Amino acid sequence: MTAIGIGIGILGVSIGLGMVGYAAMSAMARQPEAIGKLQTAMLIALAFIELVFLLTAFVLAPALVAGAK
Amino acid sequence: MYELFRTGTLLLAAGGENGGGHGAYHFEPTLVSTSFYFLVALVIVFVVLSLAKKGFKDQVFKNPFTCMLEQLYLFLENLAVGIIGPHGRKYLPFAMTFWLMIFFCNLVALVAPTAPTADLSFNLGMALISIGYVQWEGMKTNGVFGHFKHFAGPKLPFALIPISLMIFVIEIISEAMKNVSLSLRIFGNIDGGHRAAAAMNEIGSKMFPFAGGNATGIPFGYFLLPIKFLTCLVQAMLFSLLFMVYVSLVTSHEHEEEEGHPRHNEHDAEAVLAGSH
Repeated sequence: MTAIGIGIGILGVSIGLGMVGYAAMSAMARQPEAIGKLQTAMLIALAFIELVFLLTAFVLAPALVAGAK
Repeated sequence: MYELFRTGTLLLAAGGENGGGHGAYHFEPTLVSTSFYFLVALVIVFVVLSLAKKGFKDQVFKNPFTCMLEQLYLFLENLAVGIIGPHGRKYLPFAMTFWLMIFFCNLVALVAPTAPTADLSFNLGMALISIGYVQWEGMKTNGVFGHFKHFAGPKLPFALIPISLMIFVIEIISEAMKNVSLSLRIFGNIDGGHRAAAAMNEIGSKMFPFAGGNATGIPFGYFLLPIKFLTCLVQAMLFSLLFMVYVSLVTSHEHEEEEGHPRHNEHDAEAVLAGSH
């Protein structure tokens, strides 16, 4: 059950990352002259969402696995 | 010869060793390994900066290292002035030091089994220093009591004091969480890259077991190198940017002048003087 829970968490993160990418790409397609600024902002948003995944993988998962044992 | 190739391949793919059938593990960072690779990264930084310094005597930079460092400086200066304001240049050396150290330590992580930034203690140290500096700047700008008062949220009427207390506690916890998030971000990206490379190397060794025994196969971890390089750049930029954001939150001056003024150089002044005659 723990594995399914972690998997659902990671599913949420992946969907979030994909949505940021989608928004960034449609904005870049509308305004190609703003691609530099959009790239920077997209990378910043990506790092914040990535942080949730890293917290899950490195803080939550070992604690859960150690608790389940 | 094969041993050399195998060791070199394993080192380069940064995936750790297939230890005799136990599967791929990756190196645990120890004090010695972190210090050694930190010294390696430091030497690289010094070499790059001293090569760049030679190009400073030209009026127009031709030295490639100088040009790259100028681009880096302009990028970080844009960020600082845009995020913090005109007084943001004061924090630029701090941010640039962090950027250079994190970037070159991450580069070492691409080619070495462990690196300073793959060690949680090193990242936590960097995060504590930068958040501690933000607190210091906040206390210098607003005074010690004023700095803690800004944690308590907006001023509420006397009957709602318990809410202010709760907001204060949550804000203090969130400030402590900044250390955790800053350090775990870099650690997770770099160490996660090592673990992913180790896993891919293990897949390669199972799929194409060459030379029996401790089979190496094709080290698939190589294919992660481009995205790991992007992660190097992004993580370095992100640490500096978040440091600037935290500084801007505590040192917001009320008498801000208009932002976004490009720096006027002497040619603009000459053009203005020539046009006004």
